[in-house]
Amino acid sequence: MVRLKDRYLLVNIVYTDLPPGQKGSVPDVLLYNQPTIGELRPQTILKGIRSQVNALFGDCGSGSVERSLQVKYLSTATSTFILRISRAHYRLVWAALTFMDRLPLKDGRPCIFRVVRVSGTIRKVEEEAIRRAKLLVLAAKDEMAGKASPSDALNALFRGGKDSARNLALVNDDHDDAEMDEGEVSDG
Amino acid sequence: MLYDLNIAWSPTTPSSELECTLKFAKTLGYDVVALNQTITGNIPTQPHPISNPIPQITSPHPSFPGGGSSLATNSTTTARTPTATTTNLSTTASSAVPPTTSSSLPTVLRRVTLTVTDPSTTNYRLADFARSYDLLALRPTNDKAFSWACLSTTEPPAIISLDLTQFLGFHIHHRTAMAAVHRGTRFEICYSQAFASGSSVDAQRARSNFIGNVLGLLRATKGRGIIVSSEARSALGLRGPADVVNLLAVWGLGPEKGTEALGTGPRAVVVNEGVKRRGFRGVVDIVQTAPGGKVRNEEEEGKEGETKLSKKQKKLQQKQQQGQKGQQQQGQGQGQGQKRKNGEGGGGGADGGGQQKKQAK
Repeated sequence: MVRLKDRYLLVNIVYTDLPPGQKGSVPDVLLYNQPTIGELRPQTILKGIRSQVNALFGDCGSGSVERSLQVKYLSTATSTFILRISRAHYRLVWAALTFMDRLPLKDGRPCIFRVVRVSGTIRKVEEEAIRRAKLLVLAAKDEMAGKASPSDALNALFRGGKDSARNLALVNDDHDDAEMDEGEVSDG
Repeated sequence: MLYDLNIAWSPTTPSSELECTLKFAKTLGYDVVALNQTITGNIPTQPHPISNPIPQITSPHPSFPGGGSSLATNSTTTARTPTATTTNLSTTASSAVPPTTSSSLPTVLRRVTLTVTDPSTTNYRLADFARSYDLLALRPTNDKAFSWACLSTTEPPAIISLDLTQFLGFHIHHRTAMAAVHRGTRFEICYSQAFASGSSVDAQRARSNFIGNVLGLLRATKGRGIIVSSEARSALGLRGPADVVNLLAVWGLGPEKGTEALGTGPRAVVVNEGVKRRGFRGVVDIVQTAPGGKVRNEEEEGKEGETKLSKKQKKLQQKQQQGQKGQQQQGQGQGQGQKRKNGEGGGGGADGGGQQKKQAK
């Protein structure tokens, strides 16, 4: 029996400026990881991604991601969401996310969609989301306590510890998925 | 270590926005960035020693003159001072930040990109620009300028950075491109050029031009000698490294090569250019002094290129000992003598024992 093979993308919405009408200085950790304000719903995200895929890859591309694209989880408090997409086309969706530069709302705020984890099972992605949320809380606490140097939690959050190649390792990060024994992901 | 060798800078860039961009680059995982000043139109002939307007925000990269503090050998720095004073530490802006505050900033290099339309008017100024900036890039706009930049500059430029959003109007030939790569030049893909927002016809046209040109460049070089940078005009033009690698994977540069284009490729450019500016005549460099004749075996990051050069130098010395004659040999002999002088100056500073590693052998 052949299974449908999927990829789960954990995506962070990263902001680089304060919301309009708010002034003052905010620590960098909190600035980049602001909660998403406004009625961002799974449907609006899907709509935004579909239109971007359509702009980049045309009807052929949007047709191929049409059926399998799904938002599994959305947390506006941490500006995180999890996407499910068939394995053959996850790079299309990822490229579309890279090209998006604002929230898919009316007058959406400028932001960056950063894919932080790709996996073949949703469990690993969930674990990573929880790990990052924990680290974010720790980093924010450290920052507010007024530590001069960037703390360990902050480093672990953004840099993957000392191992900066970890950020890139997720490109082919399928190995912790025992069920993906054959047909490891290839390019494109 | 990840590199982003192109963050757009102009004299009108506000420093707060610049700092925001740099911090964000560091947060995304880039450790070394280069601020890029693009000079379009005719190359200015007037200020003779060209002054560098880009502020030196952090302490220089360890490979570059003045950036050796992290390598931390006292005798080496004293030996290096004669070269360091002649190079590009001068800047017209004096907003250098002490290195303690720069932990949230990446290491910043200063780069210039010259738009080349007519090669014959540009050539004689290249060396001047290379001297006052850390990196020199060329942006040829037509076929003639492109093949000139690839093949016949006196010194190969560090980077050839095409404006990929324009219709190039010429074909990038495999032979020309690979000749440039073998000379040590790298081709640059600036991904932020493709993010020109808006659904106007121009933006769409720019994007499809960009993708077409990237494909052409990848076909011509077969993915070799490519480096990827952002050319971000604000923090929003930057993307995470994994996102960039994926984007290039969609366009036909495999993830391994994409990772290389963000890491080792640009690192090689930076270290090479550093050695060119720091070493004597761009070839001879003091790797380490040997106190008391002992050779310490400390290998540090950023030193591989130099040790290779020192091997090359050893070969040259052997050749000279064989007593061959000829003009070329004489030229090298002069270089040798001068190097000894420098070495002795440094050695005197380090209580007489600080001889060069190569000489100790």
